[in-house]
Amino acid sequence: MAYSDKVVDHFENPRNVGSLDKGEASVGTGLVGAPACGDVMRLQIKVSPEGIIEDAKFKTFGCGSAIASSSLVTEWVKGKTLDQAETIKNTDIAQHLALPPVKIHCSVLAEDAIKAAVADYRAKHGDPTIAPADKAAASQGSKP
Amino acid sequence: MNIQAQPEGLESCVVACWSCKGPASPRALFCSVCNAVQPPRAVDHFQRLGLLPGFEIDLAQLERHYFGLQRKLHPDRFAGRTGCEKLYSQQQATQLNEAYETLKDPMRRAVYLLKLAGRAADADPKGTVSDPALLMESMEAREALAEAETSAEAGAVLIRAEADIASGIADLAQAFAERRLDQAEKLVLRLKYLSRLAEEARAHKARLARSAGE
Repeated sequence: MAYSDKVVDHFENPRNVGSLDKGEASVGTGLVGAPACGDVMRLQIKVSPEGIIEDAKFKTFGCGSAIASSSLVTEWVKGKTLDQAETIKNTDIAQHLALPPVKIHCSVLAEDAIKAAVADYRAKHGDPTIAPADKAAASQGSKP
Repeated sequence: MNIQAQPEGLESCVVACWSCKGPASPRALFCSVCNAVQPPRAVDHFQRLGLLPGFEIDLAQLERHYFGLQRKLHPDRFAGRTGCEKLYSQQQATQLNEAYETLKDPMRRAVYLLKLAGRAADADPKGTVSDPALLMESMEAREALAEAETSAEAGAVLIRAEADIASGIADLAQAFAERRLDQAEKLVLRLKYLSRLAEEARAHKARLARSAGE
């Protein structure tokens, strides 16, 4: 299966690879995995006091599409508010990267990762709007 | 051959042989009247290979039963027979292969047992894992592997992964024996991540060894 030019570009020149200090109050960490392929993805956001995402980093161990999806999401979320970041849909990612149907789950993973990062940040700041379903995913970043 | 793993009622009912229309046991591979090969029946992999369902199986027995059945049913034996017989022997051989490949591998056997118990161990391929401890463990292991600069360092990750896989399989056997299927499901997922880690460690180790000219 051939990867699209955009996937190859993100795969060969991934943006924002690395990590932020997950213990810092301004950082939200999302850690997700795909059971079918054993991929694991970490996506982190640094949020300004005004609630704007000013930096984002990722580390993904997985296929080219998973790396490209997380790389793209870190580019998209910068400068956005938390609410805006949460509206990113896997379908937008898949469409932008022209992912084939068998690789759609990679974009789902990236969407889940940004949601988990936002939820983690909100949990750190005691945001009451956090949904109960997100609590398990959110608590992961606050562990030692 | 062991036939204790019969579903209720299957033993007592009788089907008609497709060729002579005579009565045949649903388990029979050949018609007892006309000796025509029968199409594969809807039985699970354990029954097809004459084994009791369970995680701990006798692998020597699995091999014996599989090769014994494959000898009788291999399509090569039906080269000169009617189209129907050729087709049924092919279908039988395919089913036998599928059953054998599934039961031989402990991971696939575990996933299959969970499926028989009505659990979606392989789950929805679109689903994501939300077990934080497992994800944290996997992330750390993959990062340690990525930082390995010599084949010995990558080899150390591989040895640890293989030891974890071995103990995970032992835990899985115990979970199945005690019928703790939630635990078995968790272990299957962890083993999937460990297998992937071992696979990557093996490849990374080989790359490092090559570039060092070892």
